Amino acid sequence: MTGLRLHEKKTLMALRMLNGRASVDDVVERSGLAHAAVMRAALTLSERNLVKIHEQKWRVAILNEEGEHYAQYGLPERRLLRALLRLGGEAVVDEAAQEAGLNAGMVPLALGWLRRKNWGVIKGKKCMLTVGTEPSIGVDEKLLATIFEKRSVKVEDLDEDLKRALETLRKRNLVEIEEKVYRELELTEEGWRIAKKGLEITEEVTQLTPELIVSGRWRNVKLTKFDVTAPVSAIYPGKMHPLQQIIQRAREIFLEMGFTEIRGPLVETAFWNFDALFQPQDHPAREMMDTFYLAYPQTGRLPSKRLVEAVAKTHEDGWVTGSKGWRYKWSGEEAKKLVLRTHTTAETIKYLATHRKPPIKVFSVDRVYRNEQVTYKHLAEFHQIEGIIMDKRVTLRDLMGTLKTFYTKFGIEKIEFWPSYFPYTEPSAQAVAYHPKLKRWIELCGMGMFRPEVLAPMGIKYPVLAWGGGLERLAMIELGLDDIRMLYANNVGWLRRTPLCQ
Amino acid sequence: MPVINLRVEKLAKFLGKPLTVEELAKWLPWLGFDLEEVGEDYVKAEYNPNRIDFCSYAGVARALKGFLELETGLPKYYAEPPKITLNIDSAVSNVRPYMLAAVVRDVKLDEDAVVELMEMQEDLHWGVGRNRKKASIGIHNLDAVEPPFTYTAVEPTSVKFVPLGKTEEMTPKEILEKHEKGVAYRHLINWAPKYPLLIDKRGRVLSMPPIINGELTRVDGNTRNLFLDVTGPSFEAVEKSLKVLATALADMGGKLEKVTVHYPDRTLVSPNLEPEKMRLRLSYANKMLGLRLSMDEAVHCLRKCRLDAEAVDKDVLEVAVPPYRVDILHEIDLAEEVAIGYGYYRLEPTTPATVTVGEKHPANKMAEIVRQIMIGLGYLEVMNFTLTNERVHYEFMRLKPKNPVRIANPVSTEYTIMREMLLPGLLKNLAENKHESYPQKLFEVSDVAKINRRQETMCERRLHLAAVTCHSTANYTEIRAVCEALLANMGLTNWQIREAKHPSFLTGRTAALYVGNKQVGVLGEVHPQVLNNFEIENPTAALEIDLEMLLLR
Repeated sequence: MTGLRLHEKKTLMALRMLNGRASVDDVVERSGLAHAAVMRAALTLSERNLVKIHEQKWRVAILNEEGEHYAQYGLPERRLLRALLRLGGEAVVDEAAQEAGLNAGMVPLALGWLRRKNWGVIKGKKCMLTVGTEPSIGVDEKLLATIFEKRSVKVEDLDEDLKRALETLRKRNLVEIEEKVYRELELTEEGWRIAKKGLEITEEVTQLTPELIVSGRWRNVKLTKFDVTAPVSAIYPGKMHPLQQIIQRAREIFLEMGFTEIRGPLVETAFWNFDALFQPQDHPAREMMDTFYLAYPQTGRLPSKRLVEAVAKTHEDGWVTGSKGWRYKWSGEEAKKLVLRTHTTAETIKYLATHRKPPIKVFSVDRVYRNEQVTYKHLAEFHQIEGIIMDKRVTLRDLMGTLKTFYTKFGIEKIEFWPSYFPYTEPSAQAVAYHPKLKRWIELCGMGMFRPEVLAPMGIKYPVLAWGGGLERLAMIELGLDDIRMLYANNVGWLRRTPLCQ
Repeated sequence: MPVINLRVEKLAKFLGKPLTVEELAKWLPWLGFDLEEVGEDYVKAEYNPNRIDFCSYAGVARALKGFLELETGLPKYYAEPPKITLNIDSAVSNVRPYMLAAVVRDVKLDEDAVVELMEMQEDLHWGVGRNRKKASIGIHNLDAVEPPFTYTAVEPTSVKFVPLGKTEEMTPKEILEKHEKGVAYRHLINWAPKYPLLIDKRGRVLSMPPIINGELTRVDGNTRNLFLDVTGPSFEAVEKSLKVLATALADMGGKLEKVTVHYPDRTLVSPNLEPEKMRLRLSYANKMLGLRLSMDEAVHCLRKCRLDAEAVDKDVLEVAVPPYRVDILHEIDLAEEVAIGYGYYRLEPTTPATVTVGEKHPANKMAEIVRQIMIGLGYLEVMNFTLTNERVHYEFMRLKPKNPVRIANPVSTEYTIMREMLLPGLLKNLAENKHESYPQKLFEVSDVAKINRRQETMCERRLHLAAVTCHSTANYTEIRAVCEALLANMGLTNWQIREAKHPSFLTGRTAALYVGNKQVGVLGEVHPQVLNNFEIENPTAALEIDLEMLLLR
């Protein structure tokens, strides 16, 4: 018979030796298998109609703790009887108890049963035996010993006397009756046929061990066949956050395109965040409603006086730039205020102020802040993609071409450039992509060429192409999210489930 | 950004040409609008705050006519000579010194037009007036009052009038105390001993700038003749606002009439509708845009944007800018007009010739390496906000409150300070993921902010790493092994682990990490009270390292 596993073979052989029918316990003993292994084998064998499982419910008697104690040391009345015999058949109760080694609690019990079994009487403080020699072992004591020896006794196997004795012991609270399922295994005709022919028993192992490999004993054993389709419990790899993967991808594209990475502070002076970018000090974007200002520390230091003065004059009347300026009184105090940077352009302009020799191509993919209530479509802090090119001859069309390359690498094909407005760029545009699922154009980034009012105070002589846009919006499209907050919820289930992108 | 809701039928009337929703939605973006919503018979579009003249149908139609070449070049505006006089009392010079005015006759305002006028007024208040700080507008029913008008300043309780939308008379003082507009804008005047007031010949109140108009001159569907006033501390902004408003009303069919304005020291005629002349070098425009337009082509582009231009030199155009274009500050703005007139959609993208070699920032290079090691050790990356609050950051961590970088105007109590360490964020993540299977091993490589007076911003960002391992048998040994695996794979050899105390960690199971002679991090078993505070149920071991200390090694 093919397909029988080791435990099943051993079970069949054990049954054969036990004449074809035996209790599970007997099979366990004979086969040397564990109880559970026999039961599992029996179930498989019965499914294959080689073994029949007979199931019967028995009531069995077992000893409790007190019962076990008496089975070992004798019932208290027997111990009292023997003590009295040693003391000459008569003694003061306390003395007899001490001789018997009974503690105070057990004395009344021992005296009661001594009397009931007609072994003795009590007179005053004395106790006298009514028997001259030791009476033989009673049925109750015999039963107690039997149960102790066998651990349990089937109630149905007891004769009438023993059943009465059981009742006595139960009432004395020394035994307990339990229901037990009793299983017998019996070989079917087919089972007999196979077992008679004899089965080759090869040792079977589940886990290959170093010992088996080194000793070469693996040749003599059979490896258990696994159900390779059975489910296993899940494990989770360590991995990069999905948003981080997209940040890294954006960085890679910039690096591929020859841009150098820059990284500036998260807290900036209003000077670099706004003033250096020709954002007038009374501009609505600078109001508390859009920008996080700091309560501590409140103000920072301004750069060189020469630079600050050039920026101030440009704001006020255009300075030497040919611009009309914003026509107001510029305030250094306002420019010293510290803010959580609202864009990474604060970093690019600062970089340009000290790197004025063309060509320059720098980028950052970094954190920015907006004073916004966090909702499904807005975050108070997020990442901005920012890139700039400064060179002797670069044009608005070059900016469009650069962005087209950048976003194509991101997998965004259909892209247009619409006119737009930013205080620090002119001409300005926004790159928009057609979202096939939403069936509308969505903004990718703002872009433009830095205004002369921005460049002149920094001493920059050549055109600067700049663009910047939110990264999370791209991430939402890429990851198919409707709620931007999911990107920062750190839902471990989502992080574990989301496959690596690219 | 401001929004205008354009019904095609009404816009077609302004254009004098039928128009479909599809056509409108196709062209608006090329003029600089963002499409917010395309309906069956309307387009809701956002416009940029620099193009404040897009706040009316008239303004949009003016631009569209040019773009579609129905009517190009400078729109001409004519204003009748002044009949009405406005006197400016010297008393206003200390509170809100400038007022300009205009008269518009024979306007036909339906209910829609009244609403549009109110919206235009609000947009101007915001865009040019900077929320009434620099300029504010009053629009009045001219026929309800009698010129000449006087702009003066009065004692807060010396007069009484019924403010717009009310039925009871109030003094200026009462208006600032009780009226909703008074409460909203009182900071603009309540510091002055006298408040600004515009009155007519008989002393009746037209308005109390910049707070509220009088009920007397309320504009409704029956109003035929308008008196416009603009006040403010910035003459520039006052003039700009009036130009935009007056030209829009002219385009709506009104007849403009000038007003004589007597200042104590001079007399003006308002509004000034003369186009401004600016110069554009063709070579400059071509160089910036990457085009090779001829003079004629550039003129054509500018005319489509409703500007006039003529060649005055070989390479120079003289450009006439209409009075409503308050956004043109510099030659570069004219170059952009050329691009818009040319059509952004016709600008073929090109690849710049600039050749450079890229390089990663050292801090991010290190972050990449650390991430790679932590992922190899089986840790899952999380990303938290740098903004947090003191309760989570200090109280939950059993730390004494410090003085971190603090926001002056937080939008919620959850985000009030910048984090000084990453660990509280990771513990919060563990608390929020109790339903997920264990072990949970998380890490974050990101920024914290620390006060540093040597920096020009008085604080600095520092790159940190934090990691937590959370499961029924997590302990010090485990996190110590992770810490050392990390350091060894970063190529470090000279670190020391020293016994340490930290309120967030269990004493006797806490260590400080030293590199050289500087402490760069802490590791250990998280204190059970901290776990209770976050409601984390499993033992947790953690580490936090300042990576920048390793960078500067």
